[in-house]
Amino acid sequence: MKMLEIKNLHASIEGKEILRGINLTVNAGEVHAIMGPNGAGKSTLSNVLTGREGYEITQGEVIYKGQNLLELEPEERARRGVFLAFQYPVEIPGVSNIYLLKAALNAIRKHQGLEELDAIDFLTLVRSKMALVKMDEQFLHRSVNEGFSGGEKKRNEILQMALLEPQLAIMDETDSGLDIDALKTVSEGVNALRSPERSFVMITHYQRLLDYIVPDFVHVLSEGRIVKSGDKELAKELEKSGYSWVHDAPEPEGQPA
Amino acid sequence: MKVLTDIHTDFSAVANSRDIMVADNARWKTLREQAQHQFARMGLPGRKEEDWKYTSLWQFGQEQFVHQVSQPGYADIHELKLVEDAYRLVIVDGRVDLTASSIDRLPDGLTVTPLSQSIDRASEFLNQQISMEKPGFNAMNTMLMNEGVFIEVAENTKIDKPIELIVVNSGHTQHYAMHLRHVIVLGKDSQATFIETYAGNDKANGMTDVVTEITLAENAELFHYKLQRESLGHYHVATMAASQATDSKWHNTNISLGAKLARNDVHSQLLGEQSHVTMNGLYLVTGEQHVDNHTRIDHSVPNTTSEEVYKGVLDEQSHAVFNGKVIVHKDAQKTDANQSNRNLLLSRGCEIDTKPEMEIYADDVKCGHGSAVGQINEDQLFFLRSRGLDEVSARSLLTFAFAVDVIERIANQELKQSITQVIEKRLPKGGNHE
Repeated sequence: MKMLEIKNLHASIEGKEILRGINLTVNAGEVHAIMGPNGAGKSTLSNVLTGREGYEITQGEVIYKGQNLLELEPEERARRGVFLAFQYPVEIPGVSNIYLLKAALNAIRKHQGLEELDAIDFLTLVRSKMALVKMDEQFLHRSVNEGFSGGEKKRNEILQMALLEPQLAIMDETDSGLDIDALKTVSEGVNALRSPERSFVMITHYQRLLDYIVPDFVHVLSEGRIVKSGDKELAKELEKSGYSWVHDAPEPEGQPA
Repeated sequence: MKVLTDIHTDFSAVANSRDIMVADNARWKTLREQAQHQFARMGLPGRKEEDWKYTSLWQFGQEQFVHQVSQPGYADIHELKLVEDAYRLVIVDGRVDLTASSIDRLPDGLTVTPLSQSIDRASEFLNQQISMEKPGFNAMNTMLMNEGVFIEVAENTKIDKPIELIVVNSGHTQHYAMHLRHVIVLGKDSQATFIETYAGNDKANGMTDVVTEITLAENAELFHYKLQRESLGHYHVATMAASQATDSKWHNTNISLGAKLARNDVHSQLLGEQSHVTMNGLYLVTGEQHVDNHTRIDHSVPNTTSEEVYKGVLDEQSHAVFNGKVIVHKDAQKTDANQSNRNLLLSRGCEIDTKPEMEIYADDVKCGHGSAVGQINEDQLFFLRSRGLDEVSARSLLTFAFAVDVIERIANQELKQSITQVIEKRLPKGGNHE
């Protein structure tokens, strides 16, 4: 089943074209890694997919489970199962983590026509998900990400993902700012969520993350286009030779199925 | 003189009329005569008066207020009380409603009475904390006050329940003006919680003029919460002033939600060493509302502390003024004073004039102050939306989050909950954030 189809996507910010014809198909259950040097358009791609304001789509389309993703508000995308794990999770003083988790889960359940969970069922569910990312319960009652270390913030993102059970998770530079232990914990959390119904798009500069979360496909993004696609071995090549060669690469032909 | 000249209500005539009952008390009568004299001389302040620079009383001057009720008012206080179990006094349209009050079973050491019934004792404390020298409402209040609450807590007494005052403008009489004076006296080593709510019917369009004078003896501690939720056509002018002896503590929380024009003057005089004042403020205004908070803290002796946080949320065309003055007098060494005013603007049409001021005449002190004006953080908003919250709920949640630390500082849990509920209803498209 096709989860996500990006067709000839062009996007600009303040008149400057950043994405210049992206084509990508992600099937259910697949993990795709999108790699590329700084300025390739990685963050723009994740922002456009999740609906952040400020980008103009000049050409192309994005189909998510048969719907035109680009015409949906960010919250509508979330309720339909699209999740963004942020590169820099924002701190929200005054909003407790538990309140956020509950509000988010209930917004999605409501969309699915389900009842809100009562306090006890909710807490039981949250606790089981917290165990997955080895988070202490005290984090529930702290303000969202306020005073969290880099690793704690990223674990908190995975906790939200685990609770909301998205169908398409977009992970933006999830490994940035993580030490090796935190990287392992986060990766284990993600791996536990891999399933035949769930797809991942991991956007990353470094190959390191892919040692822990092994992708099915690797794509190289450069100057707003995917210039090369392959399997996990491609990431290792990149690790060896860097990104300098990608500028000379020819237009890609076709896509991995 | 820099005064407002165009005042349609003849307040001086009211003072001479039978609408205002004059108590048979020599000190009160003398004060009233002085006040009449001062008011006749100075009237109300114009905008050239520094303390009224950003608040115009022009429209107030155009109003024709009445001082006689056309029919007895009634108020349902079930919706208004903030705590269940309290020693409660209810004032409706300027008159004490004893059936709605519960002051008949007071513990030893506590006095809670209508001001009109304890004039001789209360008169000793009248106009001790306020001055009538400048044009302003203190003279008007002294000239026209005829009711209020008198609270006295004896030495070594801790009051088990909050004392709650509910003041309602019922709307049965249009443009009705109330002039109230509260006197609160806490003896040595005593402790009490005082909650005051001002509410009004949507049709009231009247005025509440209130002065609260507080005397805290050595090591007395007063937890003091004021919630002003009057109707949007109402005028609210209030002064809260305290003198604080050694080791005393005044924790004042001042929440302004209602009124067309609300002005609060909050003043603490720290007169004894180790005395402390907390001033927490929150104002939520929208539409054409105007709220003005002027605070002043005098650190007069060494080793006193103050902590002040005022936060404001402004929407639509509203206007807020904050002027916080902290004065560290010459001998007040080791003063520790902190003051901040933060504002969240939800629309382009609103206006905030904020001026934190510190005057420091001592050299060994720890003082900090600051003010900030900001908007909803777009990254936070996007984050919440990306988790499924719709835009309106996300904005409302972030607005609540901005205000929440003022609420978090409320010591009484029941009060904290009920104030949270009141505030949530006032948020843009208010939702439940519990």
